[in-house]
Amino acid sequence: METLVGLLAADSGEIVWRSEPLPASRRRNVLFYLPDGARPYQDQVTAEVVSFFAGVYRRSAGEIDATLTSVGLKSVLHKRVHALSKGYNRRLLLALVLSTPHELLLMDAPFDGFDLRQTRDIIGVLRHHAERGRTFALAIHQLADAERVCDRFVLLAGGQVRGLGTLDELRSETSLPNGSLEDIFLALT
Amino acid sequence: MRSPKPHVAQSAPLRPLLAKEVREILSGRSLWTMLLLLCPLIGYSFLQAVSLYSESSSAALQSPVLANSLSPLDGILVPTLGSFYVAVTLLFPFVAIRVLGQEKESGALRLLVQLPYRSSTLVVMKLVAVILAWLFASLPALSALAVWRTLGGHLSLAETSNLLFGHLLYGTLVGALALFAASIAESAATAAIIALAVTIGSWVLDFTVAGQPGLLAWIAKLSLTQTLRPFEQGLLSGGLVLGIAGVIGGFIALASVWLPPGIPPYEKLRRSVLCILAVAAILGAAIQGGWSVDVTEDRRNSFATTDQQLLATLRLPLVIKVQLAPEDPRYADLQRNVLSKLDRAMPNLSVSLAGSRQYAATGSGDESYGEVEYVYGNRSDVSRSTSPREILPLIYNLAGVSPPPPTAGSEYPGYPLVVSASVTLFWFFGALPLLIALCWWWSRRPRSLRSLSRT
Repeated sequence: METLVGLLAADSGEIVWRSEPLPASRRRNVLFYLPDGARPYQDQVTAEVVSFFAGVYRRSAGEIDATLTSVGLKSVLHKRVHALSKGYNRRLLLALVLSTPHELLLMDAPFDGFDLRQTRDIIGVLRHHAERGRTFALAIHQLADAERVCDRFVLLAGGQVRGLGTLDELRSETSLPNGSLEDIFLALT
Repeated sequence: MRSPKPHVAQSAPLRPLLAKEVREILSGRSLWTMLLLLCPLIGYSFLQAVSLYSESSSAALQSPVLANSLSPLDGILVPTLGSFYVAVTLLFPFVAIRVLGQEKESGALRLLVQLPYRSSTLVVMKLVAVILAWLFASLPALSALAVWRTLGGHLSLAETSNLLFGHLLYGTLVGALALFAASIAESAATAAIIALAVTIGSWVLDFTVAGQPGLLAWIAKLSLTQTLRPFEQGLLSGGLVLGIAGVIGGFIALASVWLPPGIPPYEKLRRSVLCILAVAAILGAAIQGGWSVDVTEDRRNSFATTDQQLLATLRLPLVIKVQLAPEDPRYADLQRNVLSKLDRAMPNLSVSLAGSRQYAATGSGDESYGEVEYVYGNRSDVSRSTSPREILPLIYNLAGVSPPPPTAGSEYPGYPLVVSASVTLFWFFGALPLLIALCWWWSRRPRSLRSLSRT
């Protein structure tokens, strides 16, 4: 993912977006990547960090309010980032990335730090954005979570692509008509 | 939520970015700690300076002829701001590194470089925040100047502005260096080591090669500590300002090259070489540019105005061959009293130093040691004097022009002042630190969320 957005240098290959090559100079207009493990601007107040992104992308107060409500960040806006729990830090990162206008959002371990109920809530938020025309590419280790949120899957193991397609296509490929994504992954690797 | 819209990378506003950088500096401990350390440091320097100035002034009040040697620039401004210079050298890199090093360590940089800004914009905004931090850190020094005025001391606007401008350039240079160090280092600690290696290395360079001839003298000129000296002498040198600006620009360009993480190292090296070549070209132009203004009230860097005007009309090359070792005190006198002033006054001057270290070591050498030969056109003369009163007539004689008539009424009066600054101890060691601590506490207070109501 970091290579896709240009945070790591690529040895070879090209990115195709909407059937056209996407040069490095234009990737920032289309892609935005949410890294795992970031805790941005730890000494600043959470509201100020959100305000920074909102200012950069000229988001209105109403838009930001909706985003903050949807990810459940409002109760900790007065706290400094270093005082946030892991889950709230993840909510902050989600609020930041959802403040961007990009069409394709790449997220590394977006549910890390959430319990089952919180994960389901965030899945609902991502689904809502997907319905409005955005595309999410999520890197998820918990296949049960991936099965809940994703429409298409790329199963990776040992640096190789082991499966690609919707859940139904993968079930057909592995002859597991009622198999879960975990069953399919085990069958393919 | 509105539906996604394509956006243009160059259209993002700069204000949120700058506000974020300023908040990042103000929310850290390094700037406030530096400010608190500066209070006693500058206060002690100021008290010492005032005490020594008062002692000298006492003698001058009894013997008025001594008064014209009492300049607040040398007596108060330079020593007081000297302690600020030490703090900027040793502490300011930690303040400047924070604006980038913290983002690297927290992972925020990976978000920042995806925002719709060029990497050069990101670095320039960080530099602007660093300059604002320097201005903030200069408050104790500025308060010392205000205290001096309150005590009845004299400050020349031109001298003071020039010296403060020099310190601003130096602070910006250190800040730009720190940003570059932070851009190439993986951690803030490593960046601090790199930045301090350069700043403290400059001191070492000064101590070890100062006064050496040839290449070593040229290397000594690269020392960062050299940047302030002309300003402390009351000179505003266009070449120096251009050179410092070029180096600052070079550090910023290099930081912009090394900031984005997704560019292969060989490409970064290629771009770095281009930056270094550009800076070298600017430095070359800066060395050629000899324009400078003497802003001192006592005109210590210039001859009398009539002499300056006459010397400027001498178009033939004046060649001066000095038979003195560079570390000889007579050479320092000659340089300060005559050569530096001639260099500013005459359009075509070249000086060669023929003496060597052995001369000074043995103290004897041949009999020509100590002679200075002046060649103008096809005429030459020799003198051992280091005083312009003897050398200027010699040059006029070589040029075949009459010395200008002496001008009267423009003598520098000097500004003796006998005063005790003990009472200012309460300001520098009590009230000012307390005020800074309160501001620090205020900056850490819980914020209202009004900032989000308009974005």
